Amino acid sequence: MSYFAQALINGVALGGMYTILVLGFSVIWGVMGVINLAHGEFVMVGAYLAWMASDFWDVDPFVSAPVVFCVMVLFGYLVQRLLVNRIINRSSLVSLLVMFGVSIILQSVMKVSFSADFRLANTDLDGAWRLADRLTIPVTRFWVLVVAVGVTVALSLFLGRSRLGKSIRAAAQNREAARIVGVDIDKVYAVTFALCIGLTGVAGALISPLLAVQPFQGPPLTLKAFAITAMAGLGSVRGALGGAMVLGLVEAMLALYVDRIGTNLAVVASFVLLVAALVLRPQGIFKGLRHVDATST
Amino acid sequence: MRKPVRAVGLALCLAAATAGCAGDGDDRAGATTPVGDGGGVGDVDYRAFDGTVRIGAALSETGKYAVEGKDSRQGYDTWVRWVNEDYGGIRIGEDRYAAEIIYYDDESDADTAANLVQRLIDSDGVDFLLGPYSSGLTTGTSAIAEANGVIMVEGNGTSDTMFERGFQNLFLVATIASDYTRSAVEALAVRGVRTAVIAHEDTTFPTSVAAGARRHLEANGIEVLAVETYPKDIQDVSAIMTKFRNLDPDVFVGGGHYNDAVLFVNAADELGFEPDAMLITVGPSNPRLVEQLDDDVEGVLGPTQWEATMAYAGDWFGSAADYAAYYQWLWGEPPVYQAASATASALALHLAIEAAGSTETDEVRQALRALRADTFYGPIAFDERGVNIAKPMGTIQVQDGEILVVAPDAAAVAALVYPRG
Repeated sequence: MSYFAQALINGVALGGMYTILVLGFSVIWGVMGVINLAHGEFVMVGAYLAWMASDFWDVDPFVSAPVVFCVMVLFGYLVQRLLVNRIINRSSLVSLLVMFGVSIILQSVMKVSFSADFRLANTDLDGAWRLADRLTIPVTRFWVLVVAVGVTVALSLFLGRSRLGKSIRAAAQNREAARIVGVDIDKVYAVTFALCIGLTGVAGALISPLLAVQPFQGPPLTLKAFAITAMAGLGSVRGALGGAMVLGLVEAMLALYVDRIGTNLAVVASFVLLVAALVLRPQGIFKGLRHVDATST
Repeated sequence: MRKPVRAVGLALCLAAATAGCAGDGDDRAGATTPVGDGGGVGDVDYRAFDGTVRIGAALSETGKYAVEGKDSRQGYDTWVRWVNEDYGGIRIGEDRYAAEIIYYDDESDADTAANLVQRLIDSDGVDFLLGPYSSGLTTGTSAIAEANGVIMVEGNGTSDTMFERGFQNLFLVATIASDYTRSAVEALAVRGVRTAVIAHEDTTFPTSVAAGARRHLEANGIEVLAVETYPKDIQDVSAIMTKFRNLDPDVFVGGGHYNDAVLFVNAADELGFEPDAMLITVGPSNPRLVEQLDDDVEGVLGPTQWEATMAYAGDWFGSAADYAAYYQWLWGEPPVYQAASATASALALHLAIEAAGSTETDEVRQALRALRADTFYGPIAFDERGVNIAKPMGTIQVQDGEILVVAPDAAAVAALVYPRG
């Protein structure tokens, strides 16, 4: 029984990590129709900021996360103004290639700035809570989960209740109609992109004690975010949480109950679910703001 | 969005491609400028020599192996600096030849590395090749070298499968992968270890190490309770460690790359998995890991091709400690074993060229096969496969934050602490 319980804990903890990793990617895709191929690199930049705070000033990543959020919001706003805003009305392939270029630039800049050495941020929220002889809760991942759920609730309330949030959703559902009724689309996109990059930076800060921080850690994270978002529903905040949890639990169970190759199967699982979702339910399991094959307008 | 489905497909392809692509692409450089107080390796006056031996190497400046690639390159450049400026050039007959290494960034990608090695041979006309980092990259590049009849000497691709192909032009100065864990397992066996578990990345090198570990464990009467594999770029090993915790083994053997060591140590801490010994094949011998994981890595064992404290010495670079001091002076940091392996690879090629008195491939190949040398890196003598069978693998243990050699006995500077406590 404790074996199954530990698998559940592992899966939920992994789901928490995936949730915070996927939120920004999902909302940008859902609202703006931009597949942010530099997502993993924005995570990486956030992780470097948290590592610097930890290494230079001995600040815990969970403490520096709000600062990282603010810095990354500014960074995201700049990227949106300088790049994304200029190509948002062009073919989706253009935005895809531009963000791919951004990912390469960020990798190279961080490599030149910090070398390719691996870094790890230190957190006091580490170790494990022992519930029984063979049942533990990983402390760092627990707090990542808490933050992920908190951010999900806050973002959900923001999009659902605030005037700006409603404007964002309106822009996602029908950009031209939203413009006609007075929504400032440029402002909506700027806020959306900046906010999401801020959240993505927070994700980087929170995983900086868990995964080695290095300039080339981004692509696997982008792939994971892509799979979860397309599976769960574009721009759906609750979908991001749900999809991440489903995937975390599926991966944890497969890895634990299939001998020898379970972890390999677990990694394949996200893409099996992605393919199944694209074929059977293109609006996503949790019904996103738009279909995967929707137009950008 | 005119072709949305195609866009999604392209997104996946591009995202996957970035895993091995970091933009430096066609970055060619002759030699780097070191960061320490020492002199540069790129300021050689080639007019002072009678000729130049041109050597090529594809190395990872970007991508998954960027750290090890940097260490390897510094190792090669250490030899370049030493042979040109301290040794006086490679002696061929009565003449002295300068050494030049042409590098390309292989982006940690096997296909890129193979293409670059072909380019080194075809366009740059190199005389010899030095190896890239990792077995995965060495496998492909050595096949290109073999097909073109160019000798490749390497020290950082140690998978056994590479040496089961009957190649004539591939030489490995390092201990082969299947023997990585041998001295550690033998040391643990005499301390009463009875059970073990193994987790390894399912790529070439970790698979060879794990297969060798299993063989050595069973040969020493240690029961292997479970073997788990995982893909590269893994982000969570909690499930593996949960399984292992329930098996309660005496020893955990983990094999992958640097980040895997971080994941193993963290997951063991989070899950309360406390085997009496943890043997991790890449990471523990790297001071950066010890610095970053601090107490969590205390007592962890790891194989090492080389440590500065080992009692090896030769006529070139002096002792292991002398080499370490030279490297430290040149680069401002101590050498890890990947760097020493790279230097030793270049040195073995250098000694064979001198013994052959020629840069002709057939003559240098014969000289490599006949080479018997004691060096700062350990003894070098190649068997018919091209594998150095003279040098045993060392085992280190992190003790009070220090990386100490604990096996084999001949090289040990401290006693192995078991259980790790």
